[in-house]
Amino acid sequence: MATMTMTIEPVSPFSSLDVLVAMDEGLFAAEGLDLRMASRAARDIRSTTEGTLTSPVTNQGRLQERGEATMFQG
Amino acid sequence: MIVCAALVVPPSSDVYVPQELAHKPVGLDYGNGTAYAGLQMLEGAVPREAVTTRAAITHPGERFAALMRGEFAATVLQEPWITVAEKAGCRLVSITFFHGTWVAGPDLDPELYAAFLRGVTRAVRRINADKRRYVPYFKGGWAEGDPQVQALTPDDFNLGRIVLREPTPIPEDEARWAWEWMAGWGVLEGRFDVAAQINRKVEREAHELAAATLVG
Repeated sequence: MATMTMTIEPVSPFSSLDVLVAMDEGLFAAEGLDLRMASRAARDIRSTTEGTLTSPVTNQGRLQERGEATMFQG
Repeated sequence: MIVCAALVVPPSSDVYVPQELAHKPVGLDYGNGTAYAGLQMLEGAVPREAVTTRAAITHPGERFAALMRGEFAATVLQEPWITVAEKAGCRLVSITFFHGTWVAGPDLDPELYAAFLRGVTRAVRRINADKRRYVPYFKGGWAEGDPQVQALTPDDFNLGRIVLREPTPIPEDEARWAWEWMAGWGVLEGRFDVAAQINRKVEREAHELAAATLVG
């Protein structure tokens, strides 16, 4: 089986336990997918306290916008 | 995965039901799913004009610490900090669940996404067969340096708050409702356009491919 590669933005157990377990237990690899998780540099991390309810600041999607990740969890 | 979010008040709070949060500051991590879940819980309990929120930090452990310092009357937490808060004597005055949704660009390869869906589906089945085995994952990530989380044992976790579902296509009615609700709060502008938000061709091809090759 040819191996495909995909990079996703960082995830947390509270929202992506399934992804973390699939990575650790080789479930993506068994499907021919080399799933990688990008890490955020300090410059990519802004605090939500900088935003407001109607103009929020979020770190999600920044790496995907730059082409450094294929997907992120919204 | 289905995310659990709870509105939490400190042990000394005089708030016992979410209606008592009217006009009281609630710390929300604006821009994140937990914040919108918190807002929905508040809106379900008090008139919109009585919903009073404050910007709170993304890290739930730091949000919990701010709650305990008295910076807000309540905040919204997710696991493992819901469990930490309960152990500290805090009360959950409301609890809800929401979908964690994956976002990709328009050039996503259906075969690639299908392989992702298959891996996730197999993981969901494995975790649902023995959730307790996997709760130590909640000590990782953001929680690694948090002594209160590290002190938790697997038996401390309420498995009813750890909910996993096999991935499905995004229901249009739910996406539309979410968009219009967010627009109602001024977070989004414009009308919902399903074709602009969901690439049904890629989604359908990926789910069909995943279903065709998932065995057992």
